[in-house]
Amino acid sequence: MWGLHPRKQVRSLAVGICAVVVAFACGNGGGTGTSNEAAPNDQQVLRINDGTEPNSYDPGQQTYTYEAAVGRMTFQSLLLPKPDLSDVQPGAAKSYDVSSDGLTYTFHLRPEAKWSDGKPVTAADWVYGWKRVLNPALAAGYVDPFFDNSVAGGDKYGDVDSKSSSAIDTFLNGLGLSAPDDHTFVIKLAQPAGYFKWIATLWVATPIRKDIVEQAAGGPVASNDATKAEAWANDAKTIVGNGMFKISEIVPKDHVTLVPNPQYWGGAPKVQKLTYYFISDANTAFAKYRTGDLDTYTASTQNVQLIRNDPVLSKQAKLYPKLTTFWMTFNEKKAPFDNEKLRLALSKSIDRDKLANNVLNGTDKPFSTFIPQGMNGYDASLGDSQKFDPTAAKKLLADSGVTAQQLSQFKLLTRDTTANKTVNEFISAQWQENLGVNIGIEVIDSKTVTSRIRKGQFDIYGPDGWGADYPDQQDWFDIFLSTACHNLNWGCPTLPGYDDNIKKADSSRNESDRNSMYKTAQKQLIDTAAVGFIYQAAEYTLIKPYVKDLKITAIDDQAIPGDLFYHDIFIAKH
Amino acid sequence: MANQAVGGRPFGGARPARRLLAPSSRAGALTVFIVRRLLWMLPVVFFVILITFILMHLAPGSPWDRGGGRQLSANVVQNLNVRYGLDKPLWQQFVLYLWNVVHFDFGLSYQYQGKTVSSLLLGSWVYTFTLGVLAFCVIVPVGIGLGVIAALRQNTRVDYVAMGFSTFGASVPNFVVGMLLIIIFGVYLYTLTGGAYSLPVAGFGLDDHLIMPVLTLATLPTAFIARLTRASTLDILRQDYIRTAWAKGLPERLVVLKHILKNSLIPVVTALGPTFAFLVTGSVIVETVFAIPGIGRSFVTAVLSRDYTMILATTVLFSVVVAVANLVVDVLYVFIDPRVRLS
Repeated sequence: MWGLHPRKQVRSLAVGICAVVVAFACGNGGGTGTSNEAAPNDQQVLRINDGTEPNSYDPGQQTYTYEAAVGRMTFQSLLLPKPDLSDVQPGAAKSYDVSSDGLTYTFHLRPEAKWSDGKPVTAADWVYGWKRVLNPALAAGYVDPFFDNSVAGGDKYGDVDSKSSSAIDTFLNGLGLSAPDDHTFVIKLAQPAGYFKWIATLWVATPIRKDIVEQAAGGPVASNDATKAEAWANDAKTIVGNGMFKISEIVPKDHVTLVPNPQYWGGAPKVQKLTYYFISDANTAFAKYRTGDLDTYTASTQNVQLIRNDPVLSKQAKLYPKLTTFWMTFNEKKAPFDNEKLRLALSKSIDRDKLANNVLNGTDKPFSTFIPQGMNGYDASLGDSQKFDPTAAKKLLADSGVTAQQLSQFKLLTRDTTANKTVNEFISAQWQENLGVNIGIEVIDSKTVTSRIRKGQFDIYGPDGWGADYPDQQDWFDIFLSTACHNLNWGCPTLPGYDDNIKKADSSRNESDRNSMYKTAQKQLIDTAAVGFIYQAAEYTLIKPYVKDLKITAIDDQAIPGDLFYHDIFIAKH
Repeated sequence: MANQAVGGRPFGGARPARRLLAPSSRAGALTVFIVRRLLWMLPVVFFVILITFILMHLAPGSPWDRGGGRQLSANVVQNLNVRYGLDKPLWQQFVLYLWNVVHFDFGLSYQYQGKTVSSLLLGSWVYTFTLGVLAFCVIVPVGIGLGVIAALRQNTRVDYVAMGFSTFGASVPNFVVGMLLIIIFGVYLYTLTGGAYSLPVAGFGLDDHLIMPVLTLATLPTAFIARLTRASTLDILRQDYIRTAWAKGLPERLVVLKHILKNSLIPVVTALGPTFAFLVTGSVIVETVFAIPGIGRSFVTAVLSRDYTMILATTVLFSVVVAVANLVVDVLYVFIDPRVRLS
């Protein structure tokens, strides 16, 4: 997944007090009138808060949204999502063909494409870049499940001795990746995958320049030498990409500056300087926006009301949904949570409208299905069995045979962010109010929570959730496969027939068949309360009025509005 | 003993200890003292590494566990363990780490791919050190100044104002001080001047970027030093030799500077050592509020992400800084406190 809803991960210190302090300063934010005419080039500057510094500037190593935000600018994938997310569109490849058996994807690369240093992009660069992602010694985070499960030969990834360069070379050379000519990149799949076109949109799989890697490493790089293989990505000078921007400056932990890549096949973007700051404190970022030093700011929950009450700021605010949903995970390997009626009772006793409107400031959307609104597969009518109904919930609890006293020994586990804590306090209070059940909350640091849920050491965990890597249902339903038990499928529900159904849907190339199979699966997840679905996330973002032509989508990186389509945005005169 | 009879200075007796040594032998003793203390730092650092190593491995979660969402697959985790040597038994990892540290190799960061911990530490310590030293330059004159003035003008308005400030500084947490400054000199000033000027609210620069972080960082220690100086000065003011100094008719300047201040600063110097160490090892809160890429924030990030090599190197650095600061204070005693002997 793309990382949890960034607004929920606000690492504000002492949020409560700061919110009060900020409230004192409820003044004007400095809104100015703007025209639609572009400002001169020296004012084509866009300043964004990316929140956290990327762990690496090598796109193959990037897994978090704050990393992808930069990776997507400097490197371009084969295909791109359409702005309405309905399908893919050409990216670095101008077109692609799929063989009749669905196993061979042939990407026709743009012959005019150049690297930021002016050299032509060749299919060999693509093969090299994809092989790097699949190189076990480099241990790329996103290799699984996207690449080892799809590319032919990738299933042996786990068997390769990552210390042996010859074993790695044998594995990499056996992969279904080839370059029959300079402008054709062929990928053979292990099995048909109706979703593979979306894998080709991931920021992770890009071409990489072998000569640059070797130059930065000071000579040829053995396949098992990860340190040498990554040296190029630590210096702005050697980060040569095929994206529309190139890095001009990296100030560690502070900011990275991007400038247009004049060699980009689509022409250089209009914005002349793009700065991503790494400010982790939401209130500091807010102050920076208000003093005119940031051009967008995604509000943390505690600042939403303040913005709404401000006559200037409220006009700059935009609310847009994300392809991110949240739910409560029950540990179904453990009694009494293996009891379906109990799970349904717990889910049906949560007033999601109240949660969304009172606790989450009316920005997020009450929700009781799995696939989010704005994506193929969304169907609100499937959610009836989990909808708020305290009377039915009481009856279900009585029918389940589990008593309130039994339940009082269990805890609701969450990661230590203020937003998580607030949501869980509300849910715990709802169970008390609507079921007379006392389930306390347990707030623990994030790493410890992960280590516990991986071992199944929890009763109920939440808000758990998912954000789309790409808008295909395969990315969602794979979560609840029994093979993902204790990996992403933390609660390990028993779902008869689910795995077969999903595997068939994933490998089918017939969209309507896939939709129907995924629908069956979604109904099964909801009706059995495999998890308790609670809300769909949205972003409440301030955008300076002079930032023009943003194409905001529901999968923008790190709550940065419109970042998937930065090519045409511009700064208007102001 | 005729010479005594004619009133010469008594031989021996109550002379200050430091005068017992000739300058050259005194310097020699000081060198021995410093070298001995530096050697003592080796076992200190060893135990710091040992304890940190044990604690961080005891902490639940591994560097490869993620905060939420998609977790790394078992195969990737295995490959990462091999890449960073975490597949070896713990004792081997410890011995290997010590061996590398002896060679000044602190390893690669687990969080920042392909970057050495030393380069990351050096990169971020520059910011922290600059802020710390500047804050120290504010704390010493302001803290001591306020304390001395408050003591000399005890129970007057000056005293109340100085102590009021230091009570405020000591009791208001620094994230509140930081946020208040940001709101007043950032947001309000920006609005008041119609967007023409405000102090920068985030980031580092050798300009007006420094004002708010330095003030925030200095508030608490200044308050602390002011209170300490006041108490210690009041104590000295009641001493007989001060009464004697006044009685001799010495000018106020001389009494205050030579007799009062010199003696009242002894406990203050003791406190300034750890204060300096505290400042230059960074404040996670100040660095977070002002988005300064310093070492305090790096340390907390490293702990939260279980970046083992970064945690160890930072802890070693902190322990060395604290040990050196204490050593400097001990050496300073020799010069300011005549009762201290180098033995």
